[in-house]
Amino acid sequence: MADAAPPSKSRDLDKLLLRPGNLVGPTFDPGVQVFFLSVLIFEGFGYFQLRDDLQEYARVLVVGAGGLGCELLKDLALSGFKNLEVIDMDRIEVTNLNRQFLFRLEDVGKPKAEVAAKRVMERVSGVNIVPHFCRIEDKDIEFYNDFNIIALGLDSIEARSYINAVACSFLEYDSDDNPREETMKPMVDGGTEGFKGHARVIVPGVTPCFECTIWLFPPQVKFPLCTLAETPRNAAHCIEYAHLIKWDEVHSGQAFDPDNPDHMKWVYDEAVKRAELFGIPGVTYSLTQGVVKNIIPAIASTNAIISAACTLETLKIASGCSKTLSNYLTYNGVEGLHTKVTEFVKDKDCLVCGPGVLIELDTTVTLKKFIDMLEEDPRVLMTKASITYHGKNLYMQAPPVLEEMTRSNLELPLYDLMDKIPKDVLHATGTINKDDKKSSGLRKLRVVFKGIDGVADMDMAGGA
Amino acid sequence: MDGEELTEQETALYDRQIRVWGADAQRRLSKSHILICGMKGTVAEFCKNIVLAGVGSVTLVDDRIVTDESLSVNFLILPHENHYNGKTLAEVCCDSLKEFNHMVHVAVETGDISTFGVEFFEKFDAVIISCCSLGKKKLINQKCRKLSKRVAFYTVECRGSCGEMFVDLLDYKYSKKKLEETIECQIEYPSFEEAISVPWRALPRRVSKLYFAMRVIEQFEDVEGRNPGETTIADLPGVLKLRKELCETNSLDESQIPDALLERLLTDTREFPPVCAIIGGILGQEVIKAISGKGDPLKNFFFFDAMDGKGLIEDISGPSTRS
Repeated sequence: MADAAPPSKSRDLDKLLLRPGNLVGPTFDPGVQVFFLSVLIFEGFGYFQLRDDLQEYARVLVVGAGGLGCELLKDLALSGFKNLEVIDMDRIEVTNLNRQFLFRLEDVGKPKAEVAAKRVMERVSGVNIVPHFCRIEDKDIEFYNDFNIIALGLDSIEARSYINAVACSFLEYDSDDNPREETMKPMVDGGTEGFKGHARVIVPGVTPCFECTIWLFPPQVKFPLCTLAETPRNAAHCIEYAHLIKWDEVHSGQAFDPDNPDHMKWVYDEAVKRAELFGIPGVTYSLTQGVVKNIIPAIASTNAIISAACTLETLKIASGCSKTLSNYLTYNGVEGLHTKVTEFVKDKDCLVCGPGVLIELDTTVTLKKFIDMLEEDPRVLMTKASITYHGKNLYMQAPPVLEEMTRSNLELPLYDLMDKIPKDVLHATGTINKDDKKSSGLRKLRVVFKGIDGVADMDMAGGA
Repeated sequence: MDGEELTEQETALYDRQIRVWGADAQRRLSKSHILICGMKGTVAEFCKNIVLAGVGSVTLVDDRIVTDESLSVNFLILPHENHYNGKTLAEVCCDSLKEFNHMVHVAVETGDISTFGVEFFEKFDAVIISCCSLGKKKLINQKCRKLSKRVAFYTVECRGSCGEMFVDLLDYKYSKKKLEETIECQIEYPSFEEAISVPWRALPRRVSKLYFAMRVIEQFEDVEGRNPGETTIADLPGVLKLRKELCETNSLDESQIPDALLERLLTDTREFPPVCAIIGGILGQEVIKAISGKGDPLKNFFFFDAMDGKGLIEDISGPSTRS
């Protein structure tokens, strides 16, 4: 029943209706507030019900089993998805219970992923959920390739960046520099804070990926040291002074532990002293925790709405009707209720979802030299890189067993290790050092070997 | 309020939300009593949200027995027969909701509450009605309005991928901070009956088609003596006839209520989980806003259609409700 109209016709209509930017803007009619989730035309498709075979075969990974993750698992299971997996490295805490409804007081201390999976399977018959209690970086890249759709319920930019890089790494381009559809790994990403939230769809190669639009995020709050040291003006400055400067002066050598209540109390007391010295009001224990731990205020209802929006998008992707949907929804429930949908455009030079960082090499360059080059290359800036080639480990920094097994490759020419193919794609995982920040990352690298017959100049195609 | 501090347990559990709306609002929530009638999927979602938020008490009304259909959209019901066999929807949901937050008192009320006296409703701060006939909605709304105390009144209906919500906060005063200033606000709400009596020709042209479509279906069910949602495609000719009559009386063009939309609402009566979550989330938010006195409340109808992803707030009130 779900034979959609010829794609070109739908796409035209999509574009027509994707002009909500005109209807929903800061100056919209106060009598009518419009809340768009996404705009789509279903030709001859009366329902959202998943067809039986989709329920059997669609595999969805939910990343995060917290506020969004719990809601996502419930919504996806109730919507008919039968094969779900969930990954989360955290254990349950008391402060989670106001919104992570799958957890009870008795569950505090247990792994979120495991409890969440168990509770949803108890409540929805027919669904199978496999939990993974580990960090997202602990999984092989190929683990993520197993899924049709990845739904994100994360709470940090770094984690989103990582998963985005993984999903985009599967994307391949053909010799005309067009992304190959069968290698696109769609993601649905949700985020919330208080009464605000966003939901977006990322189809690598089609929509902008997370990195393409990273400029959307305001710069992370980082107070200048001189303000903290000399001229504090507000309560947060006093707190960060105690946390970042005074702590080390007094406790040199001992690391500050935000989960240690004595440490937190010490920081609070020092912050109060400093605030009194400068006549600044507002330092409370609660604020101290918030600033030091970077606590995100959160409520159940926003999570419920954003997760449901993500579920609807996941359903549309799974039923194959929204390949070209380009959708970033921002939601604000505090002043009335309003949302805005924007169609952002992919950055064709994006290092993550583009065809990959182009690296020209001599055929004599060894794998070791290549790995060292990645540290200096301003487009990569990766240390401790592990290299894989079409799923094969060329060199792994860890664990020790794999390191030992692949160590001998370091002295070999990369050209030989890549089966003497003049140009192909490699994946490098390691620590990315950008703007004084270190984070785990993955980069797609297009290697072109110079001076090989048939490769006249630097052409841009990446596929083998 | 009587200025009681939040307990240590409440402060720990509600930490993340106190950072959103403040301790004062949390106190008000913890003293509020909510009455909820009609335990389908959307309402189950709503209950989850307010129980997690920490309201004082939740009283559930639904004497219908659990069926397979209710299982598929209501995650409060565990799919094990010995868990739900013979029990009413209210009873099963009550057992489930208690687990979400021990500090919230969850109870069941049986019987047809539209026949209860006005004093019954005085116990509550908010009343939410779902799966009720037109007559009952109006009756309960009127009883709430007769009280000297303000009892917030909401209705919610979800059919397939569509949903409708109605809000009546009577004469609602609240304050909000804008920059350094505190602004006093006041909104007057019409009753449900007053709202749906506003002549259609008096409404702006771009009013959601769902509003009209829901009124037609509502009238049809009323006239035919059906329970809400008890319709099939076989009813389409009857519904189209009613639409014609209503449009003629109201000088509204029939094209404003498309056949296709009416068809969907007639046949697609089962709730759709993500829509339940969205409407349940928004309703939860609205009730929290009204009880805590924080934030601009919705006035007075909200419509959602997952087919086009549009959610629209419509102000359906006549000039007579403005004093």
